[in-house]
Amino acid sequence: MIELYRIWKQYRQPHWALSDVTFTAEKGDFWFVTGPSGSGKTTLLKIIYREIRPTSGQIIINGRNILRIPDHKIYNLRRKMGIVFQDFKLLFHKRVFDNVAVVLQVLGRPKKEIRRQVFQALRMVNLHHKMWDFPSQLSYGEQQRVAIARAVVNQPQIILADEPTGNLDPELAFEIMSLFKEINSQGATVIICTHDRELIRHFGEKILFLYQGKILRKETL
Amino acid sequence: MVQQIKYFLKETVFNLWQFRGRNIFSVTIICLSFFILGIFLSLANNLRYTAQQITQNRHAVFFLKTNISPEEKRAIEGKLSNSEIIATFNYVSPDEAAQKFKEKFPQLSRIVDSLGFNPFPPSIEVTFNQKSLSSQVQLLLKEIKEASGVEEIQYNLKWVERVNALGRLLTAIGLFLGGILILASFFIISNVIKLNVLSRKDEIDILRLVGASNFFIRVPFVLEGMTLGLIGGLISLALLFLTIQIIPLYLGSSLGALTELIQFRYLSFSQSIFLVFSGMVIGLLGSMSSVSKFLKEE
Repeated sequence: MIELYRIWKQYRQPHWALSDVTFTAEKGDFWFVTGPSGSGKTTLLKIIYREIRPTSGQIIINGRNILRIPDHKIYNLRRKMGIVFQDFKLLFHKRVFDNVAVVLQVLGRPKKEIRRQVFQALRMVNLHHKMWDFPSQLSYGEQQRVAIARAVVNQPQIILADEPTGNLDPELAFEIMSLFKEINSQGATVIICTHDRELIRHFGEKILFLYQGKILRKETL
Repeated sequence: MVQQIKYFLKETVFNLWQFRGRNIFSVTIICLSFFILGIFLSLANNLRYTAQQITQNRHAVFFLKTNISPEEKRAIEGKLSNSEIIATFNYVSPDEAAQKFKEKFPQLSRIVDSLGFNPFPPSIEVTFNQKSLSSQVQLLLKEIKEASGVEEIQYNLKWVERVNALGRLLTAIGLFLGGILILASFFIISNVIKLNVLSRKDEIDILRLVGASNFFIRVPFVLEGMTLGLIGGLISLALLFLTIQIIPLYLGSSLGALTELIQFRYLSFSQSIFLVFSGMVIGLLGSMSSVSKFLKEE
């Protein structure tokens, strides 16, 4: 369970990136966070995986206040999460396979298991035939799918995705969303930031509307 | 654990090859820094060797009375053999002294013969230990001078003192310049390693965000830094060796008497180990501190 209590975040005065955001995602929830550019969607995700700290407020994940976790132990939190970054954050000097495998290598998983799981994840995003390519040889949409495969390869408890279908054609976007739904049905909590109203309309269960850093409304369909 | 060690080694080799352009640049800088340091150490070695040669040849001559009794001679020899600062001593009889003189100055040998008597007194030639202190030498000289049977002592104290002072001055200058050079090399190398890490900031960020521990991120970078330092150190040693072999071929004959003074001596084993080990340590510290900067969470 992810609980955010009265989160405020200010990068520089006088603007607040987030203002008094209180929000709870139960285990197994599937949330869409939407709103115009600059509404604080990415900031909200960054606060959840603790890339940044809020100016004030508390974040409880699975009963633990993550702001109290020492910096050198924060990796334990991130290992429970699969994150799709807006800019993908791929290692361009490594092959697609290695980009996905890194998550499992970090955990010290055996080579055989890594090979099997990476292949499965890449097959899910329909990129298994390109696993020995370098990201620079892939299209923008394909790179995005590598980032998605990396986020799901470890079957994490929480998936955070920042515009995961932004560069995909509608067909593939629906496929990817179905993939997130499938992982969600296995018990993972999923939070997806997107502009795509069509996707929200089709897959939306719980929607958080942000505007200028504030919660405009929460909807449960 | 074995899995992780394999991963670290594989990553290190992979990254060394993957970023070979950048790494060759780093190794070149490390190599040049150590090469310059090595040349300096080599010159310092030569200086020390020359200073040793000069001080090694410290000797004195005790001229004895012509009528010295065997007991007096034995007493003097006893004192000399008991002294810790004497390396060797040798009794030279008047006949041997005359013979030596004739050999050294053959054109004057007739004058000695025409005298009708041997003008050379018996003497004892003494060589002092390398480690003997001037104060100890002076004390012994005083003691021997007061012994009966000794006529005169020949020992140029002032000249020896000057050579010693010059030696100390050169050592101090050497230490000062060497210290600056070592610090400069350390600074340059650690910055080259830092630049290398800096260019891979994104990679560190990604690893951090996918749940890698600081240890996991740091180890390959540290191993890479150490390897670059090691390779740089080893190549500089090889270059130094080649330079030292080649320079005398070009300069040897043209320098004449100065050859001995400015010839390059290869580094001692401990100096070579120091150079290579320093390379590894700088690589380790440089990469550790630079990676740590990027491991800080907001």
